[in-house]
Amino acid sequence: MALNLKILPQSSFGLAGYWGLQESVTIPFYDYESNSSNYFGIKDWGISLQYGAEFSGSVNSSLYLLAIAKKLGNHSLSARFTPGYQKEFLFATGESIIINDTTTQSLEANYNYKELFGLGYSYRFNEQFNAGLAVRFFSQDFKQEIVKPVFGDTLYLVRETLDEKANMWNVDLGIDYIINKEFQLRAASINLFNFKDGFINEEFQGFEMNQNREALLMASYMPADFFNLHLLYETSNSFQVSTTGYAKGFTYGLTAFHDYYQEPYIAGVVPALGYRTDFFEVLLSGVKYFSERNSNASFSKFYEEGINNIINNRYSFDKVVLSLALKISSTPEKKVELINVDIVRDIYPTFYDKYIEQPFAYGKVLNISDKPVNIIPSVKIEGVTQDKIQSPSQMIAPGDTATVPFYLIIPDKYIIDKATLSYADFYVTTSSTEPDAQLQKAALINSINSWDGNVSNLRYFIMRDIDFSMNHAKSILSKKKSVIDTIPSAISVFIKSKILFNDFVKGLVYTSDPRATAEYVQFPKQTIELKGGDCDDLSVAYSSLLESVGIQTALVDYKEDSEIRHVNVLINTQLASSQAEFITNNDSKYFIRKNEQGKDEIWIPIETTSLTNFDEAWNVGVEKFNREGLEKLGIATGKVDIIDVY
Amino acid sequence: MKIFIITLLLATSLVAQDFKATNIKGDVKYRSGTSEVWVEVNEGTALGSDDFVITGAKSSVQIKGSKNIINLEEFTAVSISSIKTMSTDDLLLALAMEDMINAPKPNGKNNSSSTAVYGNKEGQNKNPDLKADDFGLKRLNGAIRLAKSGFKESSVVFAKETYRKYPDSRKIPSYRIFFAGILYEKGLYEEALAEYLDIAKLDLSKEEKSKVESQTQSINKILLNN
Repeated sequence: MALNLKILPQSSFGLAGYWGLQESVTIPFYDYESNSSNYFGIKDWGISLQYGAEFSGSVNSSLYLLAIAKKLGNHSLSARFTPGYQKEFLFATGESIIINDTTTQSLEANYNYKELFGLGYSYRFNEQFNAGLAVRFFSQDFKQEIVKPVFGDTLYLVRETLDEKANMWNVDLGIDYIINKEFQLRAASINLFNFKDGFINEEFQGFEMNQNREALLMASYMPADFFNLHLLYETSNSFQVSTTGYAKGFTYGLTAFHDYYQEPYIAGVVPALGYRTDFFEVLLSGVKYFSERNSNASFSKFYEEGINNIINNRYSFDKVVLSLALKISSTPEKKVELINVDIVRDIYPTFYDKYIEQPFAYGKVLNISDKPVNIIPSVKIEGVTQDKIQSPSQMIAPGDTATVPFYLIIPDKYIIDKATLSYADFYVTTSSTEPDAQLQKAALINSINSWDGNVSNLRYFIMRDIDFSMNHAKSILSKKKSVIDTIPSAISVFIKSKILFNDFVKGLVYTSDPRATAEYVQFPKQTIELKGGDCDDLSVAYSSLLESVGIQTALVDYKEDSEIRHVNVLINTQLASSQAEFITNNDSKYFIRKNEQGKDEIWIPIETTSLTNFDEAWNVGVEKFNREGLEKLGIATGKVDIIDVY
Repeated sequence: MKIFIITLLLATSLVAQDFKATNIKGDVKYRSGTSEVWVEVNEGTALGSDDFVITGAKSSVQIKGSKNIINLEEFTAVSISSIKTMSTDDLLLALAMEDMINAPKPNGKNNSSSTAVYGNKEGQNKNPDLKADDFGLKRLNGAIRLAKSGFKESSVVFAKETYRKYPDSRKIPSYRIFFAGILYEKGLYEEALAEYLDIAKLDLSKEEKSKVESQTQSINKILLNN
């Protein structure tokens, strides 16, 4: 008997047509035939069944498929039971026996091919790559009646049935490459690995499934949700072309297939129409062949031509299939994708609340659902934040991509001595507590003494040690209580500022930053205990002492030279302009600013690096402020900035 | 606003000059930098950019620089650094700086008096209770001397600083009208209009009121036609 049958295990033909790889639908993916990589767009559990009828003269209905899928992070697992994936052939062998009453009885042969169940696994490497495998179990159950002579006194012919079953395991691999939102490529093997039993009976050999190794190549172009175009090619020279889409919950698909083993050139179509929600999908599909279906064929013709697919062959009939899928999940379906996150600001732990006002990162979030989605971005940084820090929610229209800011709160007592590379986990959550999408990025956490060079951020250094500063300032002022108690209240602030400065500078030495960098700032306690610092450190410490006892200060940022910047302090004396003579007869030694109530107040500049006494520091501060800020119009040109500590 | 679109080109006139005092008559003193002490000015006294010169009653002095010269009359105070030519752009920047430093705004209330403190017609109007030797008034007189000596832009800046430090000096309409006129003359219509509208809130004489109204109407026409 020639071994020329072409009965192949299932390849690419699915009862719902070909849909490409889409997050928006799940039913087509229970067809391992068109989803070799086994990727599922579910978030937790998915259950699906396909029930259909085949129109072969009479209507034969059966449960084609019952499947379950589970997603665990980037892993997808699935299993399916396929009782309807079978094809049975019943033939007269051409032999017959004559029974005693002279009636003739033909001998029969029965060939039953089944795919019983399958298992699938997929791993999502990143946004662009999935890879997976499908393992399927096939059974071939063959029976053939034969006439067996029995020798005795008389020669008897006895009808016997040869019955043999051979099982086969089939393993195929698949990979998906999602180039971008519009283009994707997929590739899979056909019959890559086969583990099978052989038939012992010579009569059955040659009827077993063939396992030619082939490949499956798929490409999709998906310019819009409502219109996707797919091409599937098998190296056996079969192909499928399909269009699919969805809008407002409705899905459609139309697949035309060319089968190398069937006529005409386009052997048939698979139309499908469905409806989906976040929790279930229903899809009604059909298979319509364009050629007359063969319900009868000779044993010899079957022997010569064979079949190439269990559910799609020249002996298959038109079908109607109803597919149902449930998405059983403690977490809803993924509605958004976090495409990318860009960290735009280095993290300085001392600026603990700065990142509440200014985002430190921006993410691009895509709404992959067909409804507006309210997203809540959040971030957690390993070793810095204990919980996720939520940013304001934002509404994204269906299919839109939005730029989403990520804000951060750093615990105000967080301490880190040296810069450390950590990881920031960015999350985007929609309706549940579990994030729909997340992304991890490396983030540099600077030390608590690090400073970004922006003078406005020195206020964080001023306020961080405010308790220490208050105790220190009160201790100094208490020693001068007798003086303070006897002065007019109008000049109380001025006198206190003077007392604090004159005590502050005792024994202080001007020292530059470590390694002459401008990015290291000491806290007031460090400056006072170390008895030294540069202009940033001294200004921070003096300002902190004043602020701690309720004296308003500002910092002056002199940027006249890009290489060497300078900072000193302004003090609000709280004196009205008419009270200037209480502190000076020289009107060039102060300037006027309005307070929040619109009242004029006298401010004086103090050069904190002038480590002599208050009067000298005031004079030096005035000279610099008048020259750089006023005469050279530095304040107008932005070369000199006044930055209020509060 | 124009102020915010002007690019700074600091004029060479901002470079410090050396000055000398001559033709001294009466009580003329100067103060250097942050010093609290006024020192008598003598013939030929060298004056630097951080010096401030003040004259008393019936006193005068001529201050000469290599390029600039100014005559100060009685009850005048002027900063040497103000004796300089400025471009209109520099003036705009300086006015912007006033806003940035948070210059005081008029309170709209004025208890006028009839004390005349300035010898010519600019001062012959209703004034608050200020004495002739009030330092704020002396500064305004100095600002007027700057303007009349050709340093009009600088005079406005000097006057503005005076208004900030001596708020009562803002209540004298004649000075305000004088400096608003300079803004108008320099084509700084928006700034001039703001000043005239503020001046209109003061207690004005008929002449002053008429002047302010006509100038306001004139600026409005110009701004509407632009």
